[in-house]
Amino acid sequence: MKQTERSVRIVVAQPGAKPAGIDVTAALRRLGDGVDLEVVADAQSCIDLCAAGEVDLVVVDYALAVHCERILKELRGDGPPVVVAIRGATDDVALDVFRRGASDCVALTRDDVEALPVVALEQIRRFRAARERVAAERRIRHLEQYNESIIQNMNSALLVVDMAGHITFCNPPAGKILGEDPEALRGRAAWAWFSSDEEEVSLLARTLSTGVSYRGAERIVIRSDGTPVPVGISCSPFFDSAGEKIGAVTIFQDLTEVKQLQSQVLQTEKMASIGQLAAGVAHEINNPMGFIHANLFQMAEYLTDMRQVWGRVDDLLQVVRSGDLESIRAAGDTLSEAMRSVDLDYVISDFGKAIRESQEGSERIRHIVQDLRDFSHHDSSEHVLADVNQCLDSTATIVWPMMKQIVVLEKDYEELQTIACYPMQIKQVFMNLLVNAYQSIEAKVGESGEIGKVWLRTRQRDDGVVIEVGDTGVGIPESHIDRIFDPFFTTKKVGSGTGLGLSTSFSIVKRHGGSLTVDSKEGEGTTFRVFLPVERHDDGEIDGD
Amino acid sequence: METDPRYPRPTLLVVDDEERILSALRRTLRREGYQMVTSESVHEALAILATRPFDLILSDQKMPGMSGLQFLEEAGKRCPGAARMLITGWTEEIPPEKLDELGIRGLITKPWDDARLKEILRQARDSVWPVAAAGG
Repeated sequence: MKQTERSVRIVVAQPGAKPAGIDVTAALRRLGDGVDLEVVADAQSCIDLCAAGEVDLVVVDYALAVHCERILKELRGDGPPVVVAIRGATDDVALDVFRRGASDCVALTRDDVEALPVVALEQIRRFRAARERVAAERRIRHLEQYNESIIQNMNSALLVVDMAGHITFCNPPAGKILGEDPEALRGRAAWAWFSSDEEEVSLLARTLSTGVSYRGAERIVIRSDGTPVPVGISCSPFFDSAGEKIGAVTIFQDLTEVKQLQSQVLQTEKMASIGQLAAGVAHEINNPMGFIHANLFQMAEYLTDMRQVWGRVDDLLQVVRSGDLESIRAAGDTLSEAMRSVDLDYVISDFGKAIRESQEGSERIRHIVQDLRDFSHHDSSEHVLADVNQCLDSTATIVWPMMKQIVVLEKDYEELQTIACYPMQIKQVFMNLLVNAYQSIEAKVGESGEIGKVWLRTRQRDDGVVIEVGDTGVGIPESHIDRIFDPFFTTKKVGSGTGLGLSTSFSIVKRHGGSLTVDSKEGEGTTFRVFLPVERHDDGEIDGD
Repeated sequence: METDPRYPRPTLLVVDDEERILSALRRTLRREGYQMVTSESVHEALAILATRPFDLILSDQKMPGMSGLQFLEEAGKRCPGAARMLITGWTEEIPPEKLDELGIRGLITKPWDDARLKEILRQARDSVWPVAAAGG
C-alpha cells in the first residue's frame, strides 16, 4: 500500500523574461537533483500539467496577472499548493493572493527569493502529508465499509455481548432471528433470548463465565414473540487488544428449515420401513380376521339352533297352560329331542368360547393397529423419559410377523433406567436394525427351510444403556463396513430399501448424544450396538482456556 | 350320527400355527363328518404323518420354520394318497404352476367363506374317499 518515494515535481509559471538577477528556477534548483522543474508561461499549460501529472507545487509569478489569477482559481481547493512570487510585494497584494487561495507568497527580492526553497519544501511537506492523510482516511473508511458490509450481509447472525451480557452489536440476521430491530437490541441483556437460568445455562453465559468456546451446538433461542427457534450456535470469548476478556461473540443460524427437512427425511424413511412391514402386519391382522369371520358365521348358526330349541320351549309353555299331562309329556319329549339334535350343551358352551376367542382376536387387531399408528406418529418436539426396553419390545412386536417364518427371536432384557429421548425416533432405529437383521437372514437361508436367529440384548451401564441387535445372517463384507452408515449406500435391490436406513439411524443416535457401532463377520452374522447416554453431552464444546 | 362303524369317517389333518384358526375351523367343520386332527406345528404334523395316513390335509402357508407349500410337499411324500390343500391370505403369492407341480388340490383364501371351504373339502374328500374306503 505504501507509495514509493517519488521525485518532487514543481511547475513554475512565469513570463518569458526573467526579472533581472532574480531567478526563481535557479533558487528552486538548490533543492537538488530530486526536483523536477517545469517552466510554463501561461495558465493553461500550468493547469494541464497539474491535471495530467502529480505536481507537488506551483510557483507562479504575480506578473502573469490574469494567468496568475486563473491558476489560483483553478487549483484552489483540489490542486497542489500555489506559491505566488510578488515583485515589490505589498501587504495588500499578499493579502489579495492569500484570499484567492495562495498557500504562501514570497517577495521577488534578491534576499527573499533565497527563502523560496524553504517555503517550497514546507508547502510540499504539508501537501503530501495532507494527501496521505486523505488516502489513509479513505482506506480506513473503505475497510470499515467492507467489514460492515460483510457483517451486515452475511447469512449468519452475529451478536456481541459485554461481560454483563449486554448486547453491544448485532447484525440484521441476528435481529431477524431474535425478532427485533438490530438497533433496538443494543444495550439490552441477551438473557431475554439466551437463557441464563441455573438449570438451563446458555452457551453464551457459559462462554462469558468460563471463557470456553463452543462450536456448532444446537440450541433453542426464544424469539421476542415467544416462538422457540432452533439454532446452530458457536460462541467464543472476545478479548481487547490487551488480551483482557471483554465479552463474547456468538454466531448462529436459524435451523428451522433444516429441522423441517430433517424431520421430512425421518418421516419418509419411517414410511418406507412401514411399507416393508405392511405385508407382515397385514398377515398378522388377517389371521384374527379369519377366525373372527368364521366364528361370526358359526355363531349365527348357533343362534338358529337355539331358536329352534326355543320354539320347542315355547310349545311346551303353551301346552303347560292347557294342563293336559299327555300333551305336556309329548312336548317335553320334543324339546329334549330338539336339544339333543342341535347338541344344545355344546352349542351353549361353544358359543361362549367363540365369543371369547373373537373378542381376543379383535383385541389383537386393535393392538396391531395401535402399534402401527404409534409408529407412524411424529415425535413431540421435547425429549420425554422413555423405557428403552419397551421401545425395543413394541418394535419387535411389529416386525415379528414379517420374520417369524425364518427367524427365532431371543430376548435378553436387563432392567434399564429411563432415558430422555425422542421415543419414536429410537423405535425407528430399532425397526431399521430389526429389518436389516431379518433381511440379512433372509439373504442367507432363502427358501432352504433353515432358521436364523435374531437376538435383542439390553444392558444398563453407569453412563447409559446399551442395546444390541444381533443376527446370524450373511454378515457385512469388510470392504463395505466403513460405508454402511453412508446415506444412500445400499446393497439391496432397487425398491427394497431407501439406502437411508442405517444413515438415518446413525444420525438419530448421534443426535441423542449416543453411538451406533457394528461388529460383523461375513457369512456369520452382524451385531449392531446402540449406546444411549443417561445425560446428553454438551455437543459442540471445543477446548477453551 | 355319522359314526356308523361300517362307514369310517374320512380323516382330516389341519395345520396352522394359529390356535384360534384351528379352533374356528373345527367349529366350521363340526358337522361335516370328518375325523379331524389339528396341529399348530409343522414338525409335529410331520411326526403325526409318520405314524398314520390321512385322507385330507389342509395347511396354512405362513408358519414359523416352514412354509405351507414346503410342508405339503413333504406331507405328499409321507402320505401320497392324501388330498392336500393350502389356506392362505395371500393366494396371489402362490404360483398356480407350483400347486400343479406339487399336486395340491385346493387353494383356499383366508378369511374363508364357510360354504366354499366346505365345498372344496367335500370335493377333495369325494376324490380320495372311495380309495381310502377301499383301503380301510
